[in-house]
Amino acid sequence: MYRTAASRIRALKGRTGNGALKRFASSSAVATQSSSGGLFSWLTGGKSTSVPPLDFPLKDVTIPPSLPDKVEPGKTKITTLPNGLRIASETSASPAASIGLYVDCGSIYETPGSFGASHLLERMAFKSTTNRSHLRVVREVEAIGGNVTAAASREQMVYTYDALKTHVPEMLELLVDSVRNPAFLDWEVKEQIQKLKEDIGEYSKNPQHLLLEAIHSASYSGPWGNPLVASESAAERLNSSVLEEFVTENYTASRMVLAASGVEHDELLKIAEPLLSDLPNVPRPPEPKPVYVGGDYRHQAEEGTTHFALAFEFPGGWLKEKEAMTLTVLQLLMGGGGSFSAGGPGKGMYSRLYLRVLNEYPQMQMFSAFSSIYDNTGLFGIQATTSSDFATKAIDIAVKELIAVATPGEVDQVQLDRAKQSTKSAILMNLESRMIASEDIGKQIATYGERKPVELFLKAIDEITAKDITSVAQKILSSPLTLASYGDVLYLPSYDAVSRKFH
Amino acid sequence: MAIRRLLTLARRSRRDTTNQLLRPFSTSLAADTSSSSPSSAPSNFSPPPPSAMVYDRLAENVKDKLKQLEQPDSRFLKYSSPHPTRVDHTPILSAPLTRVTTLPNGLRIATESNLACATATVGVWIDAGSRFESDETNGTAHFLEHMIFKGTERRTARELEEEIENMGGHLNAYTSREQTTYYAKVLEKDVPKAMDILADILQNSKFEESKITRERDVILREMQEVEGQTEEVIFDHLHATAFQHTSLARTILGPADNIMTITKQHLKDYISTHYSAPRMVIAASGAVNHEEIVEQVKKLFTKLSPTGITTSQLIAKEPAIFTGSEVRMIDDDIPLAQFAVAFEGLSWTDPDSVALMIMQSILGSWSKTAGGGKHMGSALAQRIGINEIAESMMAFNSNYKDSGLFGVYAVAKPDCLDDLAYAIMYEMSKLSYRVSEEDVIRAQNQLKSSLLLHLDGTTPVTEDIGRQLLTYGRRIPYAEFFARIDAVDANTIKRVATRVIRDKEVAISALGPIQGLPDLNWFKRRTYWLRY
Repeated sequence: MYRTAASRIRALKGRTGNGALKRFASSSAVATQSSSGGLFSWLTGGKSTSVPPLDFPLKDVTIPPSLPDKVEPGKTKITTLPNGLRIASETSASPAASIGLYVDCGSIYETPGSFGASHLLERMAFKSTTNRSHLRVVREVEAIGGNVTAAASREQMVYTYDALKTHVPEMLELLVDSVRNPAFLDWEVKEQIQKLKEDIGEYSKNPQHLLLEAIHSASYSGPWGNPLVASESAAERLNSSVLEEFVTENYTASRMVLAASGVEHDELLKIAEPLLSDLPNVPRPPEPKPVYVGGDYRHQAEEGTTHFALAFEFPGGWLKEKEAMTLTVLQLLMGGGGSFSAGGPGKGMYSRLYLRVLNEYPQMQMFSAFSSIYDNTGLFGIQATTSSDFATKAIDIAVKELIAVATPGEVDQVQLDRAKQSTKSAILMNLESRMIASEDIGKQIATYGERKPVELFLKAIDEITAKDITSVAQKILSSPLTLASYGDVLYLPSYDAVSRKFH
Repeated sequence: MAIRRLLTLARRSRRDTTNQLLRPFSTSLAADTSSSSPSSAPSNFSPPPPSAMVYDRLAENVKDKLKQLEQPDSRFLKYSSPHPTRVDHTPILSAPLTRVTTLPNGLRIATESNLACATATVGVWIDAGSRFESDETNGTAHFLEHMIFKGTERRTARELEEEIENMGGHLNAYTSREQTTYYAKVLEKDVPKAMDILADILQNSKFEESKITRERDVILREMQEVEGQTEEVIFDHLHATAFQHTSLARTILGPADNIMTITKQHLKDYISTHYSAPRMVIAASGAVNHEEIVEQVKKLFTKLSPTGITTSQLIAKEPAIFTGSEVRMIDDDIPLAQFAVAFEGLSWTDPDSVALMIMQSILGSWSKTAGGGKHMGSALAQRIGINEIAESMMAFNSNYKDSGLFGVYAVAKPDCLDDLAYAIMYEMSKLSYRVSEEDVIRAQNQLKSSLLLHLDGTTPVTEDIGRQLLTYGRRIPYAEFFARIDAVDANTIKRVATRVIRDKEVAISALGPIQGLPDLNWFKRRTYWLRY
């Protein structure tokens, strides 16, 4: 009974609301026509509030004073805790904050007994901790509308939390708790191992991904050849005690960096220090040395298309920053991509591989330069997808293109300037993003121990000459070849036949 | 499977030795853990008496672990709470000023300066899209988007592309049902050049016949790509059925026949009718100065017509009419079924559209791979996660000038379809009867944060400015949007749900092995409850 009475009252209010609306509707557009309550609106409730439509300002809202046009991003401040953990942050004008916890740990630290542990840790991130149930973790994140992500790679684990600046204390607390105190409950681990296996199944259907894994496992001997996505049988062997051991061994204070964009350093320290300062100060074990050997990987699969990749070692990695920047420019200089791709100008349509290969040979479905650069090592090469009857020719083309950039006088100034400009603008455009800025802080501190100003990288790019490109390319090509292929691979030339063309 | 792996192992010539070394070791380890011998358990746990059975030991093991959870460390529980609360965000809502200038010809220029940034995005947002075509010319707007990069009187296509590539910029465009956008992302010093290019391609494009012919193939190829993406297909069909016989039913790409027959004249006509100054907004953000942009626009955009038919006239002529109906494409060769259930939503400016956004957030989204699993706040996500009746689910809410679509899209195995359909309809209709204040606050917080987290970089900001100026005629300050979100409570949700969902018509689009999906009448019946 009370329900009908209530709806009557609402109906009375509704009439007035509607009247106001009608007036707006006639003046603005037919757009609001459908918003009238209809004939029986008194029965269904109709309108109860009289908020103006969105094209009219809401009254009685205090709009905070607007920001000046220029708000300099704060300097990156870094504090090292007594136990070796580094905390870094920069302020920003954005209303959101992005916080990340970076751990120097990944698949290269795995042993045969723990293959797949990093990947499983990525899946186990933000599950039950010793202080919070998984339910509570999920609900806490939802309560403030945040985003949490975790990612495993070969040498770094990344945990990030994004939310509005108002919630920085909540974000920090949950982020640190999830990384430090995972409970690894058996049923959660089992469930995630099941999902891990589904992941592995998905990955095995993705040629691009498969090739990247194959290149790493064929290129390196020792820990650097560890799979990032382990086999199903390796996943089967994982359990909570393997994870516990792996975390105790690797998640030590001196190997962690807490980085934030959009947070005051003092505030960050005040909350994060008590949560992190009691982590034991364990001296860091030496990082596994990359041992590049080169090699061959072939996987016969469905007929018709062939995917292959040629790769070489880029010795040095990010720690040789000048050469790493030259390599990035070289990658954009060679460029390439898919024969069919969406998007307008600006995606590298005038890069060498586009002009000289993709525009010339319609059989080539994908042809592009790729690089994976790590702290101490890196891989550089060409990845391609072609119809299988063209595969042998495609390998020859890839060989020719790689040798071309290592030949003095082949790269002209126009191409080089274009590639340098693209590299510079790619860096600056990426740094617009708060999330990428936070990641940049974390990764730079993990690699260099400091955050180098972006101007330094831009200047390094400006100084690159055609000679630098050639010498870096020559240096890369002098390492042994890695050849990986997937698809219709039976008639591909032998490893030795391809390798001979380089040396 | 195993044999294939052995084959691949054998082919990895240089890795053979290590792999063979690993094998015996790994198998012994696997056997070790599967029998759960005490050696693999943590060392700090006291072994059960030797008479204990294997399952007793396992139980001990679990108990030991749970004991750890009984003493949470209060250091880590100081600030957070799983219960959503309303928080005052005023201190963080200061934003750079959005400056808007309207030129005498009706062209609007809106900018937000962030001079600390080294890059900028500038673009043209046009109040025109596939909706304003006719059946014969459907696809023109999208065709135009392709042709506009193909050369002007001053620049050939090659020169245009090289100019952009040489400055390391990006030039992009997209067409939707009601809007068309062209934008460039460049370094600070190249902003004038980017403005010049945008003005040039919009006013002086040549549309050579030879290039039009060549672009037909590219668009047909794009069409194939889109048809391969089942989500796009579902939503195209949903529009086609829900708004049948009205302008919103048409696809953006247009039928293949039209793509083959569109001529230069169609493109020119479309530009002269729809690309008029009052229907355009020049938006910019990042390293830009409002006065400079206004000066450049005054100098460059001189050929735009100051008059012309307005979108409200066009819409009055061809309003969107929602029809309860369904379209099903049975295809048993696809492993997963997918469908979208939709109600008629609300227009951009409707005062209730904010409440509808919150309703979308209450229904939420879920996927098998996402971390939330069974624990998410959304009751629909919980039902799906606990009963394992879908692969993924997503609530959607799209607005148009005089209508909208509100509903849920889901992908599932064929044998779960009736359970899934029940869960979706139950949770949607529930919004008009029973909504908890906690769910509303959680959804409000999620909506607020997703609105602001999305504005990460100059391109999303410029896009936000352009879209808001076209749809709302102004840029809504964050503080006002937050106030509008806060003005919604559980009763508002119930009222808006009654308006949109209770006993309203349903449109359904489904694809795949969908024999198990209930019929339209079943869905219609579940838009209201008789007992509650």
